[in-house]
Amino acid sequence: MNNEELLSTLQGKLGQFAVEIVPRNPKRIYIDVPPEHSIAANRICFEELQGRLTTATGRDTPHRIEVLYHYCLDSCGVVVTLRTWAEKPECTLDSLAAVLPGANFIEREIQDLLGVKFRNHPDPRRLILADNWPQGVYPLRRDFSARRKRNETPEFLRELTQEVTSP
Amino acid sequence: MKRTVIPIGPFHPIQEEPEFFQLTVEGETVVDVDVRLSCNHRGIERLCQDLTYDQIPFLLARICGICSASHPMAFCQACEDLCGVETPPRGLYLRSIICELERIHSHLLWVGLAGHFIGYNTVFMWAWKYREPVLELLERLIGNRNNYENFCVGGCRRDIPQEKLPEITEVMDEVQGNVEMLTKAVLDDPILKVRLGGIGILTYEQARQWCATGPTTRGSGVDIDVRRDEPYAAYNLLDWQVHVQPAGDVFAKTVVRLLEVLEAVKIIRQCVDQIEPGEIRAEVREMPQGEGIGHAEAPRGETFHYVCSDGTNYPIRYKVRAPTYVNLPSFKSSVIGQELADAMLTVAAMDPCYSCTERVAVVRNRRHSKKEILDQRTLMKLSWEKTERIRKNI
Repeated sequence: MNNEELLSTLQGKLGQFAVEIVPRNPKRIYIDVPPEHSIAANRICFEELQGRLTTATGRDTPHRIEVLYHYCLDSCGVVVTLRTWAEKPECTLDSLAAVLPGANFIEREIQDLLGVKFRNHPDPRRLILADNWPQGVYPLRRDFSARRKRNETPEFLRELTQEVTSP
Repeated sequence: MKRTVIPIGPFHPIQEEPEFFQLTVEGETVVDVDVRLSCNHRGIERLCQDLTYDQIPFLLARICGICSASHPMAFCQACEDLCGVETPPRGLYLRSIICELERIHSHLLWVGLAGHFIGYNTVFMWAWKYREPVLELLERLIGNRNNYENFCVGGCRRDIPQEKLPEITEVMDEVQGNVEMLTKAVLDDPILKVRLGGIGILTYEQARQWCATGPTTRGSGVDIDVRRDEPYAAYNLLDWQVHVQPAGDVFAKTVVRLLEVLEAVKIIRQCVDQIEPGEIRAEVREMPQGEGIGHAEAPRGETFHYVCSDGTNYPIRYKVRAPTYVNLPSFKSSVIGQELADAMLTVAAMDPCYSCTERVAVVRNRRHSKKEILDQRTLMKLSWEKTERIRKNI
């Protein structure tokens, strides 16, 4: 499949959901998909285009948290990125792991680090953070700082900072 | 039947990635498995946001002691995708040479450990002996046995002098002879075929569902390899092939890795023949605003890096996905239904951390919570005894 064919296929299959299809260069295509259609679009990428879910990236922006699902289309060597988002402050999104087991770990990681809640996730336990990490503190959010909010940091971090700052 | 829960891990001084496995067994058969990651989270993604693009490759080389070329490689490609820089041809060849040397020593390390797990200590000693010249060669070429730190955005940092290239060919001759012998010995050995065949099967469909990569999937008949599908470095200029085995068991994964070592030797020879003097690095003046994606085929599978830049010297979001992160969950498909003696080997076949099995507590009777601790030696013994049984029956 060459690049124009791929773009027209993507337009045909995902055009009904997508806000925008942006080919940054011939090998990298970014598609914005509103959250309500994200599962349907992901299924098309995995089942119809035979893409392989490489991973997902969570990104904190001022008003929403973006989740980027990266698919490798191995037959033509193109990476298709589906960008969806969870509006603050609720930060909820439908879970892909219920459909595709390969998304299980990465969604749990995003849930831990950025606080996106995935609806219908089959196994929403913690994956990355320690068991004694406080609820509601998300270390990859841009407003997180272990130093500034000293009262809200976990016990072990507080002990560490005191040791360093005490004369 | 009574169920027994076996916690494995998470820490051992010599393992690279601490992980926590919990196996549920009925008798000798594994019926369920749970994995807990990130017992030693280093926050590399967050640290990258405080480093400049020139500093990041040095941190990324330390993600993994074995794949210390692949991670910076994927980073450089992500940045080159972002700023649209073309690396000069000599830089591309140098990258291929280092990546393939890394593949050879990583796969030989794995073959040795897998041999040790099933009680073939001769394989362990031989494979590691064959690996040593490769590490020494890397030290002579780049200055380090591991953590090569030779990649930067736009090309390579240091050149391999033209007069040192014959040394590479010499070592490759040695490696090729040894590995061909080892491959033949493994393929012809009836005990190995019985011991490794048919265990830890990951089917084609399961490999697709878990989105696994690398030799783990190529052993299950999934024909993917980033080096061929989206050629980077000099791979599209060379003549080589991807090895795929359809069976999906541990034996298939072993064969794939051994054949890949020979393929890597072939690639390096061609690189040495074709490489020409010239520039090794393209100058990168600034990083534009935008996003970049780079991926590379590490010995264990695909590493995937995503970089998001706002036009300053520091990335605003950096994402790293190491191959074990997607290969490990497939453990859920391959280990359930296996004997306990094979569980360790099935984990090892994925090439994650080998020594997670350092301490194992078997809860024989949950009501009185009397625990029996199985250490690594006992688990090894279980595996060795099975090999002995097969040897006697043949």
